[in-house]
Amino acid sequence: MAYRFFRERSLAEEAAQETFLKAFAQLKSFEGRGSMEGWLTRIATNTCLNILRAARRRPELVTADLSEDESDWLEKKASEAPGEQRPDVEQQVIAADLAERLLQTLPPEDRLALTMIDGEGASVNEVAQLTGWSESKVKVRAFRARKKAREALERLLGGTGK
Amino acid sequence: MKDNHILDLLDYAPLANLSESDLRTIRVHVETCAECNRAFEAAQVSALLVKERADEAAENSATANPFFQTRVLAAWREQQAGNRVPAFRRLWNATGALVASMAATTAALAVLTFMAPSSDTLNQQTVALVPYSAETVVLDQDQVDNQMTDDQVLSAIYVDEDEGK
Repeated sequence: MAYRFFRERSLAEEAAQETFLKAFAQLKSFEGRGSMEGWLTRIATNTCLNILRAARRRPELVTADLSEDESDWLEKKASEAPGEQRPDVEQQVIAADLAERLLQTLPPEDRLALTMIDGEGASVNEVAQLTGWSESKVKVRAFRARKKAREALERLLGGTGK
Repeated sequence: MKDNHILDLLDYAPLANLSESDLRTIRVHVETCAECNRAFEAAQVSALLVKERADEAAENSATANPFFQTRVLAAWREQQAGNRVPAFRRLWNATGALVASMAATTAALAVLTFMAPSSDTLNQQTVALVPYSAETVVLDQDQVDNQMTDDQVLSAIYVDEDEGK
């Protein structure tokens, strides 16, 4: 769960540790109505969101921020037809780097909705249950995140000569 | 000019979840609209990036740190130990050094105030012990040698009076 939010292993482990400590401390408050996994996941989600909220969000990603590899990757992907991608570990790492930087420009709640729905294929209802938000809030968050990410990439693709 | 209907379609749901008819509508439109074409390309790249990030997260969670459980248990025991310590002890742990140094300073000042003699008393004692006045010291007079007995004083006075008569 924590790896959805934090790419850096140490940060993810810190979040996971805090989650378990909170869970141990509040074990009496778990009434057994839902599943233990769901209860834990909700604590983890809130913990990770709080950590992300406390961290400073990155300003808008601009072309000048991109490394040479990332610019090349973007140019190549934009000109490639969908489904043409070949698995390449190096390219995957570049893509994950770029994705992380893009996600860091989004508000934590938008980021969560986007990664869960678009990245992991979760339904709006599942995200709503996990976070305790209403379904319409989840939809709005995901819509806003998609729009922001798409607009940022449009600017980047324009800046890389595409 | 960008068509808001196309953009809303792109942002409303994940690209992978768009219906065939929606995708067809988008493809037909972007053939004649360069701006929407760019938006469509950006949406495709965005979806790809988010997917890559999710895949990487799944891979990372599969290779979790084997010592994680030990680390969490250690942190839990530490937290529990911290909670068991009484409030006064926790306060002392936090401010002990400062309080101790303040107490030591106060004690030292008290000792100096009550046990050590004050400067006035010291002066008086010095005067009492040393039989020399400031004049005798300055004029270097041997006070003991010049000391006259009462008889000598009286006789000296009367001799002077007799001579005067």
